[in-house]
Amino acid sequence: MPTLVLPVMLAGFVVVRLGLQVPFPIERGLVFPLALVPSLWALWNMIWIGSHMRTHLSIGLHGAVLPLLLMPGGAVIATCLGILQVGQRGVTWFHSFYVPYAWIVPAFACALAGYYLLWKYIVGFLNRVLGIA
Amino acid sequence: MNGNDEDRMEQLLKRAILPVGSSEPERDLWPAMSRRMEKRPAAPPWFDWVLAGGVAIFVVAFPAAIPVFLYYL
Repeated sequence: MPTLVLPVMLAGFVVVRLGLQVPFPIERGLVFPLALVPSLWALWNMIWIGSHMRTHLSIGLHGAVLPLLLMPGGAVIATCLGILQVGQRGVTWFHSFYVPYAWIVPAFACALAGYYLLWKYIVGFLNRVLGIA
Repeated sequence: MNGNDEDRMEQLLKRAILPVGSSEPERDLWPAMSRRMEKRPAAPPWFDWVLAGGVAIFVVAFPAAIPVFLYYL
């Protein structure tokens, strides 16, 4: 799935940063989604393939667990790279998007639901087509 | 390095590196993959529709979350 999104994100980066000359260094924000997330998805998929015969956990539920690892890790990396500022009442992403703390819990639930659906329908489909699950 | 050395080097390399077998698969893999792609999956249960609707409502109500979600994809 991240591999499918990668070209779109790269095209968006080229348009925004090089074409529209946006001054914000969005390449810092791309390190995590372009370098780490695809590898983590692949690793998570391999873990599911290796373990589901024993655990009988569905691929959707297995995928929904991934944000529990990704979100704190991604937030730490974003803070270190200066694209996430932690404030008293909320956080600011990319120097532009303010997210109050009250929104973080529903956003997290939303991420779990989104990951569940993506893993169940897209990763599951690709695994079936490739004959690895 | 003269011609003899080059020939000797070529012979040594050929002996050291085993010839690679046929790189083509033994059978056409596409029909099997095509059959799997054409297989229609079962209809999503109502619970998945509810989840998808919840995600859509959240994104519409709070569009600032979109770049954050993309960051985690």
